[in-house]
Amino acid sequence: METITATEIVTLCGQVGTILLENGAETARVENTVEYVGRAANLPVVCHATMTGIFVSSEKDAATRIFKVRVGDFNLQKVDDINTLSRQFYRHEISFKKLKKEVQSVDHESRDFSWLVKCIGAGLVSMPPMLLFKATWGDLFIAFFVGIIGYLISQFVAHHNKTPYIPVALGSLAISFIANVLGDVSIAHDANYIIISALMPLVPGVPMTNSLREIIERNTISGLVRATDAIMSGISIGSGVIVGQILMQTIWGG
Amino acid sequence: MAMQLVYGFIFGFLSSVGFGIITNNPRRTLVPAGIVGALAWIVYILVESINHGLIMPNLLGAVVIGLLGNLCAILVRAPVNIFYVPCLVSLVPGAILYDSMKNFTLGKDALAAYGFVKALTVGMSLAIGFIIAETIANKIYPRLKRYLLEKESK
Repeated sequence: METITATEIVTLCGQVGTILLENGAETARVENTVEYVGRAANLPVVCHATMTGIFVSSEKDAATRIFKVRVGDFNLQKVDDINTLSRQFYRHEISFKKLKKEVQSVDHESRDFSWLVKCIGAGLVSMPPMLLFKATWGDLFIAFFVGIIGYLISQFVAHHNKTPYIPVALGSLAISFIANVLGDVSIAHDANYIIISALMPLVPGVPMTNSLREIIERNTISGLVRATDAIMSGISIGSGVIVGQILMQTIWGG
Repeated sequence: MAMQLVYGFIFGFLSSVGFGIITNNPRRTLVPAGIVGALAWIVYILVESINHGLIMPNLLGAVVIGLLGNLCAILVRAPVNIFYVPCLVSLVPGAILYDSMKNFTLGKDALAAYGFVKALTVGMSLAIGFIIAETIANKIYPRLKRYLLEKESK
C-alpha cells in the first residue's frame, strides 16, 4: 500500500468540508464530518468552519490548509453523497484513493432533477398552505404558474450573472409585474396574495431560521453571516417587487 | 375544521416535496420529508386554533419537525438537515421578512421594524423548537439506533 502524505489528507478533508458548506450543511456538521474523515484516515485533524472559509490543520505535523467558500444554493444531494462516502470510508469499505476520486466526481456533477420537475416543484412551493383559506383557489392556481416563471427567471439570471442578489431581485420583479398586470385586468382577485405565494421559492425563510439555529448553537460568526445574507436577499426581493409595481404602473398606466 | 386539516395536510405535503425538489433532495428522502412537513403543518393549524400567538404554533411545529426529522434521518440514513430544510418551508418567516423589507424599501420604517421583529420572533421560536426536539431526540434515539443496528447484524 502506498503512503498517503498528511498534506493529501488535509487537502481532501478541506474539499469535503467545502462541498458540504457550499451546498447547505450547517457548520457544526461540516466540522464534525471533516474531523471524522481525518480520524478515519489515521490523521487527527482540527477543523474550523465559518461561512466564508474552512481551516483544516493536522494535529501531528504542520500541515494546514485554508479553503475559501462561496455559499450558494441548497444542493442536498451533494450533502447526502458526501455523508454516505465519509461513512463508507470510516467503515473502511472504500480506500482513500477511491474516496478522493468520488469526492471529486461529487463536486463536479451530481444527480439533479430535470428542469420540468424542478418547475413543478417551484410551482408546488408557490401554493403555500399558509394562504389556503385567505387567498381564493383561483389566485393560488395562478400563483402556481407565476411562481414557476419567477423561479425560472431567477435561475436563468443566476446562470448568466455572478453578481449576488441580482437573480432574486429580477425574479421578484417579474413576479410583481405579472401579478400586478393580472390583478389590473381582474383575472386575479388580489395581486398581493399572488405575489406573496409566488415569492415562496425565492424568499430566504430557511436561511433565516438556519442562521438563528447557528447562533443558538454558538456558531455566532456563521449565524451572523447567514442572517446578513438572508436580510440582504430580503431587501433585494422587496425592492424588486416595488420596482416591478412602478414599472407596471408606468407601462400599463394603472 | 376537518376540511382545513385535510387541505392543510395535502398542501403541506406538496409544498415540502416541492421545496425538496428545488433543493435537490435525494429521491429516497422526498416522501418522508413531505409527510413530516405535512404533519408539522397540521400541528401548526391545531395549535393556532387554540393559541393565536406567533410563538407557540411555530415552536410546536418545529418540535414535531425536529423529532420526526431525526427519526427519519435514522431510518433513511441521511443527514438531519436534509429533512429540516424542506419541512420548514411552510412554517418559515419568508413572507413576513419579505413584507418587512418591502416596507423598508418604501420608507415605512416603523412597519418595517415591526415586521422584522415578527420575522425574528418566528425564526427564534422555530430555532428554539429545534433545540428542544434535538435535546429529546439525543436522549431517546441512540437506543433506537443501537436496536436497529443489532437487528441488522443478526
